[in-house]
Amino acid sequence: MSELLTVSGLTVTARLAADDLRLLDAVDLELRAGQIIGVVGESGSGKTTLARAVVGLLERNVRVDQGAITLAGQTVVAPGVDRTDRIRGSAVGMVFQDASRSLNPLMKVRTQLAEVLRRHVRDITRAEVERRSVEVLAQMRITDPTRVLDSYPHQLSGGLRQRAAIGLAVVTRPALVIADECTTALDVTTQTKVVELFRTLVDELGIGLLFVTHDLMLASDLCDRIAVMSRGRVVEHGDADQVLEQPQQEYTRRLLAAIPSWS
Amino acid sequence: MKASTVRRVGGRLASLFASLLIALSLAFVLGRLSGDPTTTILGPMAPPEQRAALRHELGLDLPLVVQYLDYLKGVLTGDLGQSLQFYQSNTSMIADRLPYTLQLVAAGMSLALLVGVPLGVLAATREGTRWDRAASTLALLGQSVPVFWFGMMLVVLFAVKLGWLPAGQSGTPKHLVLPALTMSVYPMAHIARLTRASMSEALAEPYIDSARARGIAGWRIVWRHAFKNAMMPILTIVVLQTGILLSGAVAVEYVYSWPGLGQLALQAIQFRDFPLVQAIVVFGALVFVLLNLLVDLVHSIVDPRVR
Repeated sequence: MSELLTVSGLTVTARLAADDLRLLDAVDLELRAGQIIGVVGESGSGKTTLARAVVGLLERNVRVDQGAITLAGQTVVAPGVDRTDRIRGSAVGMVFQDASRSLNPLMKVRTQLAEVLRRHVRDITRAEVERRSVEVLAQMRITDPTRVLDSYPHQLSGGLRQRAAIGLAVVTRPALVIADECTTALDVTTQTKVVELFRTLVDELGIGLLFVTHDLMLASDLCDRIAVMSRGRVVEHGDADQVLEQPQQEYTRRLLAAIPSWS
Repeated sequence: MKASTVRRVGGRLASLFASLLIALSLAFVLGRLSGDPTTTILGPMAPPEQRAALRHELGLDLPLVVQYLDYLKGVLTGDLGQSLQFYQSNTSMIADRLPYTLQLVAAGMSLALLVGVPLGVLAATREGTRWDRAASTLALLGQSVPVFWFGMMLVVLFAVKLGWLPAGQSGTPKHLVLPALTMSVYPMAHIARLTRASMSEALAEPYIDSARARGIAGWRIVWRHAFKNAMMPILTIVVLQTGILLSGAVAVEYVYSWPGLGQLALQAIQFRDFPLVQAIVVFGALVFVLLNLLVDLVHSIVDPRVR
């Protein structure tokens, strides 16, 4: 199976008043369709920068210096090249950390879903918008899609909000979904449900999932492969079982040792 | 309607009513502190008997509490007393002048909004660029320039030197141009600065990134996602500025001899016509309370979280 997402030698720098700050340093990563890769590491390790680079959401003062990101063989990001506007929301969907802040508070879920469908599906009818909106929420294991469609984000529970946000990311049937710390703001039970939902979506729809998290336990539950990041570099990259059970790098061992245990 | 909504609306109405009562009471007290109106009307040499007769006629010899209750009753029935200067009902005088002030405020505030909002949005969407700096400088200038000076400069340029527009009075749309332009400068600058701040904040919210990640771009992001979320503070300021201007744009109306409420207030103060001053203050307070209610109403329409 060919690679869906390839990040090769990606180097990203922030131009600051005093000095330049390297955020990503020659990052390499591959992801196939139907696969989940977990990007793990401490805060400030570059996980989110990597995720945002794929969809072209880097800050204005941040530039790609070297390397490239390709999606299904097409280069979308390289030094001086940014074609992410062609893939955002259509080929790539993104789920953010806190759905209570990543959903527009003044728009009903229905309106937000309709907006993204109308943006990406040419000549879509009102009936088709409705049908696909209900369908995607049902896919998110939401038992009463119509009620959720008619709700504003603040009227939903944390779990329902995050499911609606995931629905918004996948309603256009993208090939790749990026989830950036999207379970952090949830309680453990809801986290588990969201993780199960992701697994089902990947298996049923055959999408590739880039799962950014600082939670190694969660990554071990969900991911096929794991990339460990530290100070803007991928320090270890491999099958999840291998990385977690036989870490090759000292940094990974320290991360694993930091996981609290009952004993 | 939910019980919590009823409680909230009831609480809000009660607080607005309390504000109105305080404003009305202050207007009454200040009117009584402004000196003996019989001196203004009859002159300082008038005999005490004549003075007492006038005080009786005006009801000033009644106990203060009775005067206050009469005054409140008048406000409730739309009777704001009689002017000492014009011997006319204050309510009808305000009603006569109000259309002129409304005209001026509508034109000035429309101009302020039409320029201030886009200017603020431009600055926020191009933060840190020369557009931002230019818009911010313009806004700062607009807030620093004294209104009466700016009005006079406009008269000198467009009425005296170029002869394009009339220097004062009212009647035709041409007469409205300079006063409206003068009036719009301060609120325009205020709106532009507030729009910039509010939009910058909204544009940094995660729901904007999230919408961008869904492929939403350009002006749709700016207006539909950011501006709608940023508009409440802007709307509040617009309504409050409108309230201030409606209750008397003294400087502008004075510079252009515009026959609105501001001119009337100025004449009333100069003559120590306290019933008229009081009536204008009461009218201003009423306008403010009603506009505040309007802000609350619009807020609850725009933002489902406060419904």
